[in-house]
Amino acid sequence: MSTTTSADTAAGLSAFDRTTSIWGPITLALGLLISLAAALYAAFGSGMGITPVELVTAVVAVLATFGVIAIIEPISYFPILGRSAMYQAFLIGNIANKLLPAAVVAQANLGERPGTRRAELIAGSAIIGAVLIHITTLTIFVGILGTWLVGMLPAPLIATARGYILPAVFGAVVLQSVMAMRSRRTTIVAVIVAAVLVFVVVPLVPSLTFYATALAVVITIALSWFTRSKTPPSVVGTAPAEASPPHISEPTR
Amino acid sequence: MAIAAVDPSSTDITPLIQHPVLWACAAGVFAVIILQSVIYFRAIRKAAPAVGLSPAQVTGSVRSGAVAAIGPSLAVALIAVSLLPLFGTPAVLARIGLVGSAAFDVAAAGISAGTQGAELGGPTYTQKIFALAFAAMTIGGLAWMLSALILTPILSKGDAKLRKVNPAVMAIVPTAALLGAFFTLAFTEVLKSPAHLVTMLASAAAMAVCLILAHRLRLSWLREWGLGFSIVVALAAAYFMTAA
Repeated sequence: MSTTTSADTAAGLSAFDRTTSIWGPITLALGLLISLAAALYAAFGSGMGITPVELVTAVVAVLATFGVIAIIEPISYFPILGRSAMYQAFLIGNIANKLLPAAVVAQANLGERPGTRRAELIAGSAIIGAVLIHITTLTIFVGILGTWLVGMLPAPLIATARGYILPAVFGAVVLQSVMAMRSRRTTIVAVIVAAVLVFVVVPLVPSLTFYATALAVVITIALSWFTRSKTPPSVVGTAPAEASPPHISEPTR
Repeated sequence: MAIAAVDPSSTDITPLIQHPVLWACAAGVFAVIILQSVIYFRAIRKAAPAVGLSPAQVTGSVRSGAVAAIGPSLAVALIAVSLLPLFGTPAVLARIGLVGSAAFDVAAAGISAGTQGAELGGPTYTQKIFALAFAAMTIGGLAWMLSALILTPILSKGDAKLRKVNPAVMAIVPTAALLGAFFTLAFTEVLKSPAHLVTMLASAAAMAVCLILAHRLRLSWLREWGLGFSIVVALAAAYFMTAA
């Protein structure tokens, strides 16, 4: 780790904040406008005879189901991603299944927890790496070979990938997150909160299904805060040294 | 031009799903994402020394992210290919592959087809229904981008204040948010079927083996590849569970 004065640190980071707070919103807004153009063209420009009322009805039906999630998700992911990476994540999509795991792996490799400026830059780098791979695989396997592959892949294989990709990702990522975070108290709180919500609350009140993740985030934050270890005087900017179990994800670099 | 073949009531949706305008928009989204990545990479490289990150560590993080994304990216590509007959290449590339997600977009398309009394695929799935479903899922997806655009500056103001008032908040909040979110997402999957539970346990077990081996044998590359291996092992387990 290089030794830098706090003035260097502030200058270096403020340049970064300037760039990302200008170009983050610009690129995200560009993506939004292009998508909107495609949607409006499909509805009104393609000669399908779709009326504005029909489109509004369909959009309202979609937003009635997902609108609240669209507001809750950015709030839930903000503490994990940090400001600059928010603009990356919400332009690129596939956040929970791809971008967050990529950020967690990269942070774990450098022994950094989310929430610091260093972690923010590592997450940004990891997302760039994820984008490289994602764009390449999409271009090759979907854009170029896609139509040919449709006929080649056995249906059961596609069905398995479609049906089981989420548990396949989450099993590994949850374990890795627990190892990387090294926070026994917060882990226990998170397990209990998530279990109570998913196994007890949601079955009793099914209308909460889409809010479960957001509720879990808020409640886990609150309970972790109130049950935090208050004894050791905390080092500035880092967590109180909680009794961490012997872990196997020691950073080697 | 494909325009000639456009017919709202035709169930041959090929002319519309492969329309040049949709292709141009998909290419535009790709270009914007690449532009953003280039701008961010340059900014990160410049700011890295300020937080004690060496150029090698930045490159290493890009590589870690790339390797971690191989499994999920191939999985997304596989799902995307399976949806090609339904939505066509440009819509699948831009919506399912990037920006959106298979889970949201397929659900949104189904809901909006439902407002016309139609279903995805099958005899009621005409060019008009595709156009409506595509427009509605895209505009629905814009809600995420819009709320991220509006909320991010507001949240970061609150965040900066919190950091000043109490640094311990920023140590606990992100960890709690991440673990709370992942455990909830994971438990929700577990409830779906015994096969989902087994898939997740197989994935966690494979990751545990990778982490232990990486630690014992000092194989740091194994930690990066762990997620990819775990996904393959877990999907194989799911395949044999459901095939049996």
